[in-house]
Amino acid sequence: MVNGAFFAILGAAIAALAGIGSAIGIGIAGEAANGVVAEDPKKFGQTVVLQALPGTQGIYGLLMAFMILSKIGFLGGEMVDLSIAQGLYFLAAAVPIGFVGILSAIAQGKAAAAGIMLIGKKPSELAKAMIYAAMVETYAVLALLISFLMYNGIQL
Amino acid sequence: MAIVRLNKLSVVGLNSSKEKVLSELMALGFVEIDNQEDKLADESWGALLSKDGNEERVAEFDTSLTEVGAALDALDKYYPGKTGGLFKTRSEIKSSDFNKALERKSEITARVENVNELYRRLLALKNEQNKNDTFVLGLKPWVDYDVPLEMTETVHTAILIGTIPASAQIETFEKAVTSVAPSAIVYKISTDNLQHYISVVCIKTEREGAMEEMRNLGFNPVVFGDVAGKAAENISKFEARNAEIDNEIKGLEENLTKESETKQEIEMLYDYLVVERDKNKMVGNLIRTNDAFYFDGWLPAKRQDKVEKILDENGCYYEIKAPEKGEETPVVMQNNAAVYPFEAITNLYGVPSSADIDPSPFIAVFYFIFFGMMLSDAAYGIILFVACLVISRTKKLEGLMDKLIKMFMLCGISTIFWGFMFGTFFGNVIPVVSEAFAGARVVLEPWWFDPIEEPMKLLIFSVALGLIHLFVGMGIKAYMYIRDGQILDAIFDIFFWYAFILGLIAWIGGGMISPGLSKVGLVLTLIGGIGILCTGGREKKNIFGKIIGGLGSLYNITGYLSDALSYSRILALGLATSVVSQVFNQLGTMFGDNIAVKAIIFIVVFIIGHVFNIFINALGSFVHASRLQYVEFFGKFFEGGGTAFEPFDKKTKYVKIIEEE
Repeated sequence: MVNGAFFAILGAAIAALAGIGSAIGIGIAGEAANGVVAEDPKKFGQTVVLQALPGTQGIYGLLMAFMILSKIGFLGGEMVDLSIAQGLYFLAAAVPIGFVGILSAIAQGKAAAAGIMLIGKKPSELAKAMIYAAMVETYAVLALLISFLMYNGIQL
Repeated sequence: MAIVRLNKLSVVGLNSSKEKVLSELMALGFVEIDNQEDKLADESWGALLSKDGNEERVAEFDTSLTEVGAALDALDKYYPGKTGGLFKTRSEIKSSDFNKALERKSEITARVENVNELYRRLLALKNEQNKNDTFVLGLKPWVDYDVPLEMTETVHTAILIGTIPASAQIETFEKAVTSVAPSAIVYKISTDNLQHYISVVCIKTEREGAMEEMRNLGFNPVVFGDVAGKAAENISKFEARNAEIDNEIKGLEENLTKESETKQEIEMLYDYLVVERDKNKMVGNLIRTNDAFYFDGWLPAKRQDKVEKILDENGCYYEIKAPEKGEETPVVMQNNAAVYPFEAITNLYGVPSSADIDPSPFIAVFYFIFFGMMLSDAAYGIILFVACLVISRTKKLEGLMDKLIKMFMLCGISTIFWGFMFGTFFGNVIPVVSEAFAGARVVLEPWWFDPIEEPMKLLIFSVALGLIHLFVGMGIKAYMYIRDGQILDAIFDIFFWYAFILGLIAWIGGGMISPGLSKVGLVLTLIGGIGILCTGGREKKNIFGKIIGGLGSLYNITGYLSDALSYSRILALGLATSVVSQVFNQLGTMFGDNIAVKAIIFIVVFIIGHVFNIFINALGSFVHASRLQYVEFFGKFFEGGGTAFEPFDKKTKYVKIIEEE
């Protein structure tokens, strides 16, 4: 049955899709990290820090999904009676972090992988490698922000 | 505070006192001695002087270092105590004790040789054991074969041993062989997954025929080389030998462990060799005539009296002068205890140029605030603070690691503060737990407000804080302009922008407070905007260039806008921390029927969830707080690209030598 709640939950699902990007991004970075650690096992700590960077998009997605589900009372308590329009608002609010999350995490994974290569040659430049990868994340942060502001504006 | 002023030092002295001067300067440890290659290339110098150097002695020391290093590597493997791990530290030792320990240099060197010999023997034995193991593995299938392995024939018969694929049937194989060599008898010795191990006996005259037929059937002859006797005998012989080797290895390992207990002595020898090697290497930076040497370099202006004393005592001629205006000098920062940890952020970016202002004091303020707002959880702050406090109290860290740990300790304090401001302690664990387990909801009231309820408020606050950060950066640039006498540049490039941006804010937002403010804002905007438009293209020659330059300059407002919006990440990261902890807290209370099960599930979810959250968000806060410094803040004024001050000192690896007066 298509009702407001359905669209809101669909929105939560879309937000959580950001995890796809994080999984791919961390995977890409992990491949590079394996190569570097094969040469020098002592670099595990540094490479794992870089590998973790594309993971945040998944967290942002989870965050958004959770907030939607909890605002509509899906996680215990009373389900709020949503109109179709309200449901669609939630759906729209989830789109920015869902989509930007996927693509930015993949891009960030590539930047992190290149950073891991950099660590392979110059271990002292960890900070720079991290900053390059974090530049990508800016756009996931902005998407999360806009998703959150939209979500926050929805009146029940 | 800030960047230390360095003076230029030039020294001429007699070769006879060279060694002593270098040793004493090295012990002081704050004079940089530069390479003099460029002087030699200069004709007026090069004709008179030649490069000094002690390459042979350097090579000797390097060889000894390799030996001692190998011995230490070997001992590390058998050292029963703990090694430093991630936080490696140097133990401190007084220079007199160090020298005393090294009076026994020849004994220690003998120990090093002994250790290397022990380790070589150990490796040789392990090698032999491996070889024996492989051999025994090859012999195992033949254990039931009771003919000596070297025996390939009797007076009349030939004996062939080898393998055939496991897929072959012994009976069919035997039939096929006997059809060409009727006298042949096939014995199966053993079978494993891959093959049958067989021996075949036949009359010598039939050997060739049998062999050819067997080859066609996949027979592979096995040869044991110079092994004599039966397989079983050999196996027990090799196994006995391996047991013997085990004992010998154990003995050697015990010896190595015993040696490793006093490896500190060898570590000191290593450090002594490093110091001597470096000292001799440094001679290569000097230039000389027959009787005299020359070098120049840098030293901190405040500490030059000690250097003067050494040079006077050794009869050197020297000159110490301030660097010329605009001359690039090496850079070293010195800050008070509160700022010092934040030098780490500057260090990680690179070395400031000697014309730069040391950004560390400003970073100390803003990084401290930003990090705390991003992590923003009182409990996480306490964990971070305590963990770093324990590390810095129990370990004598040095360099970057020391700075980082202290920096996170301070940031922990900021995190605690902002955690209480926003009312988070492990997210919302207090209300959740009190409701789930005690039935009454206890709320930790935020001192200020809850960002989840009022995100716009924190967004505006973050961007406003960001603007202050940017303005401080621009202010530093203005200071640098004025310091260099470019007052007009400071007005055109900085103050007009101040007026323009502040004016815009007052014009657009001031109406909410009073209409007058909005009018003031409009005036300011116009002054700033027209100023930028008129002066932005001042370096261009013709009038069109000036107009385009001015317009282009005004267009930079988009840059300022994106810089300011970039600070919205403070809100986003703060939300990420608190909402993810809420997710875990809620997950933890969702399962279980009775209170005991519920509590156990909650504790497990709580620990795993928060460990994960603190790791990922502390990392995120570190990275993003750094980024705000590097991209937004440094972009406004920082030049960078300087060379670090590298004093000639004792770069020891294991002990830190404390010089005594």
